[in-house]
Amino acid sequence: MISIRTNRGYDLNPDGKPDHLLSVLDKPTYMAVVPERLRFVKPRLAISVGDAVRIGSVLFVDKRYPEIKFLSPAGGRVTAVNYGRRRVIKSIVVARDRVESFETFDALDPAGLAAVTRGRLTAMLLAGGLWPLLRQLPFRDMAHPGEIPPAVIVTMGSREPFFPRASVYLAGNERLFAFGVQVLQKLTDGRVMVTADAAERDTLSDISETITHAYRGAYPAHDPGVVCYQTKTRPEENRAWYIDAQDVLLIAQLLKTGTYPTERVVVVAGSGVATRRHYRTRMGAPLSHLLDASPPADGCRLVVGGLLTGTRCDPDGFLSLYDTSLVVVPEGNTREFMALANPGYRKNSFSRAFLSIFNNAPLVMNCNTHGDLRACIGCNHCSRVCPVDMLPQLTYKALLAGEVEEALVHGLLDCVECGLCTYVCPAKIELTTALVAAKAAYYKEQTSE
Amino acid sequence: MNPVQRFFDAQRRHFEENGRFHALYPFFESMETVFYAPDRVTITGPQVRDCLDVKRYMALVIVSLLALLFFGIYNTGYQSLSHAGLPVSLVAVIVNGAAIVLPLVAVSYGVGFFWEIVFAVKRNHGISEGLFVTAMLFPLTLPPTTPLWQAALGISFGIVIGKEVFGGTGRNFLNPALTGRAFLFFSYPVSMSGDAVWTAAPVLGGAGVDMISGATPLALSAGTQAPADVAAVLADSGYTFSTLFWGRYPGSIGATSALLCLVGALFLVVIGIASYRIIAGGIIGVLVTGFLLNLLATGSSAPYLSLNPFYHLVMGGAAFGMVFMATDPVSGPDMNSAKWCYGMAIGALTVVIRVYNPAFPEGVMLAILFMNLFAPLFDYIAITVRLKKRMPNV
Repeated sequence: MISIRTNRGYDLNPDGKPDHLLSVLDKPTYMAVVPERLRFVKPRLAISVGDAVRIGSVLFVDKRYPEIKFLSPAGGRVTAVNYGRRRVIKSIVVARDRVESFETFDALDPAGLAAVTRGRLTAMLLAGGLWPLLRQLPFRDMAHPGEIPPAVIVTMGSREPFFPRASVYLAGNERLFAFGVQVLQKLTDGRVMVTADAAERDTLSDISETITHAYRGAYPAHDPGVVCYQTKTRPEENRAWYIDAQDVLLIAQLLKTGTYPTERVVVVAGSGVATRRHYRTRMGAPLSHLLDASPPADGCRLVVGGLLTGTRCDPDGFLSLYDTSLVVVPEGNTREFMALANPGYRKNSFSRAFLSIFNNAPLVMNCNTHGDLRACIGCNHCSRVCPVDMLPQLTYKALLAGEVEEALVHGLLDCVECGLCTYVCPAKIELTTALVAAKAAYYKEQTSE
Repeated sequence: MNPVQRFFDAQRRHFEENGRFHALYPFFESMETVFYAPDRVTITGPQVRDCLDVKRYMALVIVSLLALLFFGIYNTGYQSLSHAGLPVSLVAVIVNGAAIVLPLVAVSYGVGFFWEIVFAVKRNHGISEGLFVTAMLFPLTLPPTTPLWQAALGISFGIVIGKEVFGGTGRNFLNPALTGRAFLFFSYPVSMSGDAVWTAAPVLGGAGVDMISGATPLALSAGTQAPADVAAVLADSGYTFSTLFWGRYPGSIGATSALLCLVGALFLVVIGIASYRIIAGGIIGVLVTGFLLNLLATGSSAPYLSLNPFYHLVMGGAAFGMVFMATDPVSGPDMNSAKWCYGMAIGALTVVIRVYNPAFPEGVMLAILFMNLFAPLFDYIAITVRLKKRMPNV
């Protein structure tokens, strides 16, 4: 096992971390896919409202690569296609039949896996609708089916406090996971890097033979971009693919059973809910279904996809293809009296400017910005936390000046979009948003040629 | 309801869209946010944010300066009364000191705020907190004899030319407080040059007593002729090392006490606001250059060359400049290695200017301003070296 050490980064200590219990939820009555949250995908609908669909029926394809399909997580009837601003497809809602029917796909046993070709395997994953789970660095778009990746990184999101614990969703699925890793090995000529937190090795002893890399360090040491940055030996590895460990299970399940997998383990946690737990639920479940099990307090915000990396979501929203985390945090839209004079024993901060440096207890964090936008004062906090040794403030200034080339030299594409630079910024500059937007613009420019 | 909130809620309408003082909204907003943190919530990006903001960042610098301000008031009053031959009871000292110092501070804040509001309204941005620090630093560097109109001119130049014309706090490349101080230094050399001692006449109960002039420690050091020894000359005039360290001697209002500068430095470094690299680099720069000059000293050279280098740290404004002026993150460099170089260059230049340039008894102000100009170059070199180590990703 290879050790990876990340020196920078920063561990937040938010209140409301989930316990390690797993509850199984009832089936929701309706489910949805959420094209809006697939960043680069241009959806082309394959159904219309009122159509009957089965589990695994094609709902839409990506216009850019029509072979990449997105399948229905439920069997029943399409009840709504919700559009947002500028005709963005927000969600495609499917009402579940009492007895769901499902599409069948080709299956593979371990012997068949040894014999299958790379092209055939790719076709099976494309047809089975799980290809989008494979994503590619550095732009984090879906992997391109025609390419052979230099490496595949399997990540367990353990340094993010609100991602499901690998020990919870892997329990009982160790052999399935090993099968999934073998599948990934077929896709690459390079190595499959199964990464786990060195601190959690004892809870993952059942799969210790599958783990190839153990990382140490603060958030976001688990991120595939950080793993790639720390391990790469040649520039081609910047184009590595990555996949979440839980998604490896889904792929293994698809190939073993020949049916589209529908269940996932998600975390509902945060200081805004009293019951903070892992739930086994259906993919595309409505958030309200999860919140029935963990009722939120008043005046809270729903965040899907992690505290620092997630997006806010309405209570009538759904879990998207990649979502495994629903965090409920207080909105914090109040004006605090004499905040300046508060020594801040309970105030979360990377700096040493609050008494909370003596407080090891988890802190309630809200969505207040805790200050107004100012010009960069050069405090260097962002470059002290950046896990890939960028100088975010200077990259940002290069982008402000329109110097994309200079930003690239500064390592713009190494950015793992972890959100730490924006979090620590005392001038409240949206560094991550600017860097992510610049990466996306560069990617679109590259792919449009 | 909280009376403060009631007050602000009652006044808000005057500053809103159709109010009489709508133009002054930035002022209202800045005053309100001193008492009430804004209720702005995150829209994009990470949903939670660090509690530290620029306001607290700058407020902590002001906290670190308060001890210097209080000591400045005490020392100014004490020097003024004792030189006038009046009794130095604590109350009289403080009343006199406050009567001399506080008007300077008030003028500095008042005029500084005026310019900041003018630019905030014109440019449509908030009032930046850098002003609070600049307007506190500036009077502390002034001699207590400074006329108020000069203080007003100096802070105006510092804020407008040193900062606002470049876009305000965060975009200035010179330290605004020092820029204002340098403006006065070159415009009014008779009262500002630093070779005559600055003891203000007592304001209260000292009728008929004029300003007293003598020589500052720096001027004494520079003027010492061989074969006299600088330390002995200083001690003869009452400037022993411990006096210089404790700071109870005539000088700039807030810059005389090396001890309190050291305390302020520790505070700022511990809470992570000031860079210890710049301060330590500055101290190393002073000491190393001082020792090198000691080595160069011969029997025929100026006795200043053989002065114990620690004297350079406690005389004049070196400690104050290196702790509070050089560590300004905006006008200083960003990279850690660049910060060491920047600090050392400031320390070295300070000593070189003091010893070799008879026109400028005090070197730290010019050294910092000069190195402000070099900070981007230090950064450029440090960044180029650092980026060479990166594996390209394009």
